[in-house]
Amino acid sequence: MEIKLENISKEYKNVKALDNINLAINSPAMIGFVGPNGAGKSTLMKIIMGIYQQDAGTIYLNGEKVNMSKPSVALAHGIYLVPQEPMLFPNMSVEENIAIGFSDKKKELHTRIVEIMDQLGWNIRLDRKANTLSIAEQQLVEIVRGLLRNANILILDEPTSSLTFNEIKSLFQLIEDLKKKGICIFYITHRLTEVFEIATHVAIMRDGMITLKGSVINFTKEDLIKGLLPPEAKMKNTEKTEDNIEYSKLKPAFETKGFSGYGFRDINIEVYPGEILGVAGVVGAGRTEFATTVFGMDEVKSGQVFLGGEDITGLSTRQVLDKGLNYVPEDRHLNGIFKIGEVGVNISSAFLRNSSKFFLNTKAEKQLADKYIKDFRIKVTGQDQIMGSLSGGNQQKAVIARVLSTSPKVVILDEPTRGIDAGARCDVYAIINQLKKQGVAVLLISSDFEEIVELSDRVVTMYQGRINYRFNKKQITLDNLTAASFGVYEEDAYEIGE
Amino acid sequence: MKLVNRILKAREISSLAFLVAMFLIVGAVNPTFLQVKNLFLTFNGSVVYILLAVGIAFVILCGEIDVSIGATLGLSAAVSATLLRDGSSWLAAIIAAIAVGVTIGLINGIGVTVFKVPSIIMTLGVNGVVRGSIYVYTNGKWVENVPFEFKALSQATFMNALTYFLLGTIILTVVVHFILTKTKKGRYFAAVGDNMSGATLIGIPVEGTKIVAYIACGIFAALAGLMYVSRVGFVTPTAGNGYEMKAIAACVLGGISLAGGVGTVIGAAIGSVIMSSISRVLVFLQFSSDYDNTITGILLILIVVADSLIQRRLAEKARRKRLSARTLEEVGGGSNE
Repeated sequence: MEIKLENISKEYKNVKALDNINLAINSPAMIGFVGPNGAGKSTLMKIIMGIYQQDAGTIYLNGEKVNMSKPSVALAHGIYLVPQEPMLFPNMSVEENIAIGFSDKKKELHTRIVEIMDQLGWNIRLDRKANTLSIAEQQLVEIVRGLLRNANILILDEPTSSLTFNEIKSLFQLIEDLKKKGICIFYITHRLTEVFEIATHVAIMRDGMITLKGSVINFTKEDLIKGLLPPEAKMKNTEKTEDNIEYSKLKPAFETKGFSGYGFRDINIEVYPGEILGVAGVVGAGRTEFATTVFGMDEVKSGQVFLGGEDITGLSTRQVLDKGLNYVPEDRHLNGIFKIGEVGVNISSAFLRNSSKFFLNTKAEKQLADKYIKDFRIKVTGQDQIMGSLSGGNQQKAVIARVLSTSPKVVILDEPTRGIDAGARCDVYAIINQLKKQGVAVLLISSDFEEIVELSDRVVTMYQGRINYRFNKKQITLDNLTAASFGVYEEDAYEIGE
Repeated sequence: MKLVNRILKAREISSLAFLVAMFLIVGAVNPTFLQVKNLFLTFNGSVVYILLAVGIAFVILCGEIDVSIGATLGLSAAVSATLLRDGSSWLAAIIAAIAVGVTIGLINGIGVTVFKVPSIIMTLGVNGVVRGSIYVYTNGKWVENVPFEFKALSQATFMNALTYFLLGTIILTVVVHFILTKTKKGRYFAAVGDNMSGATLIGIPVEGTKIVAYIACGIFAALAGLMYVSRVGFVTPTAGNGYEMKAIAACVLGGISLAGGVGTVIGAAIGSVIMSSISRVLVFLQFSSDYDNTITGILLILIVVADSLIQRRLAEKARRKRLSARTLEEVGGGSNE
């Protein structure tokens, strides 16, 4: 089996998701795809599976051109994708989940399924309902499903992101067995160490391009990290603004002690007034869960949160807001804006509660909105423009403006510049620096490490739900953050600066 | 033993228990309700609802809804009754009714899948259009004088107990149950409602399956319309008005989840018997049958709320379990501060 991708490109709304991808793989092989969020890994896999269609380029299987117009075409060619979140039918039994779509005799199918599972040395009751399975078991069911369909190319999209360590171990064993059977495996991961553990080949992706590919034996960890970094990265690292904060004189504005919740564990951080603490990591590292739990949107498991020395653990969102902590969510479309409301109303909506008893104080609201529209250079035709019609960058500025109207002491910004253009990005950075000058403590969550490098005074990196490293101002470099976030940082391996 | 276990676990069992309990309670208050003759009357009276519920079950299993079935019943009843009155053959009337059902189902299906109109809005709009066309078609008048032979059909009984209509409906329900649970394509309906993206991923034609579901729903509503003509003997422009709520409630009561993917048509049929007996039950308990719709509505809401609360609990539990699995048990790296 040979699969060859030629000049595959894909665009979303003028943003290049995939830029001229070329790749050829002969089975048996196990190729690891590594790259930061938004590098285009999943998009590429979905194109191979026929879920998306490429704008340009060709897919060849065994030298033959194939038009992957829909998943059933890919399935017919022996390609099977195990998605990041398993997509079983929760209300069907394991057996039904595997056998659906086949019209063979039930008994025959049953025998074949049992055979496959015996070969894999895997034991599970076939009459269990899928919604009683653990994530690992669901993934195994997905894999058996692929094997029953005689898959020659098995795509695993971040299979380990929600598995425990023992589960990962047995999954790797399974992959070794599949490799021996001659199946070609595409393996997407955030964890560089896994590549060296199980892959024969590797492809590093960044900004929709494959920046590095080949046999794993030809590369070291350092090579792979270089492939993950943007080419101009080195130069930026050398410049640092020197406005040192004297930590010894300050009391932290925000502090957590042994704070644990769903998706993160034992987080100890402190943020000082007028400081920006960067929280770096890859998606799924538990950063957003940490923020939402602090903000009273999810249950605290253990530990404490202090705001200006006062214990605010487990308070409701409204109470946390009143105490002076505010959160700008990751996905503003989902949580942040009133899309069909006017810009003015959007800005002043957080101020409403302090505004008056019963009737709205429209005049005060208007003044407030005007001030922020001017200060933040939000491009609008007027206060009455509908929020949903603004560009992403201007929406984001309006959301931050709303947060500021509550005069917070601590602000948590979650991916503040995701999906907005360069100009608006600079404006947002200016606003964040302005916050800092006003003495607000800022917690900056971002997967864009250049952003973290540019803005942060100190950085913590989160990896699999825990803080794995802390960096002071001098140590904040793209290399360090990338290595730590991908779980391969070694102290002293990367010297500071050049 | 295994079989007993499986039967006890089935969702339909609780609705059957509900039915039996309801009958026993009413029988305790008014023993005449449990007389064999009355029981048969009750069962025979539920054919129209059973057909509607089995039809809409296709759509609900897919995770969609159809609120136009009452109007579909009305239009197919009006069209077939008119043909019969004017001397057409039974076959012509049956074909015409089914054609009405197929057409409406196809329109609903295309609107929901191709044009991506939310199903509640699409079918609500179609409901208005179809109900309106009944008025246009009949000039707002009743369709009467349906031939006696056709009306007699609904009275014919098998061994003096079950009407042939009920018998046929039961057989049809069992056949549909077999198709939905035991055949490859039949499983597609529940699969689409259970996990739509998952269905796409393994090559199930999601849109095609939904269109077929709407057409099946339309055909069953048309069959219900034919039985309505035979049983009632005349058709008013409001025929079938509000039946969609009864059919949806019957499905939900029978264990079909409005979220899609869960439930059987056997359950829907049991739910229909409960729904159609409520008005008789009220009479036997010496309440006004005016409460019928109110009680149906309350039952519908209660069951759906309870079900969604349970589902939300389960989903939240699963999310937390997933997040916890991601977290390192031990501290992975050191600190270099």
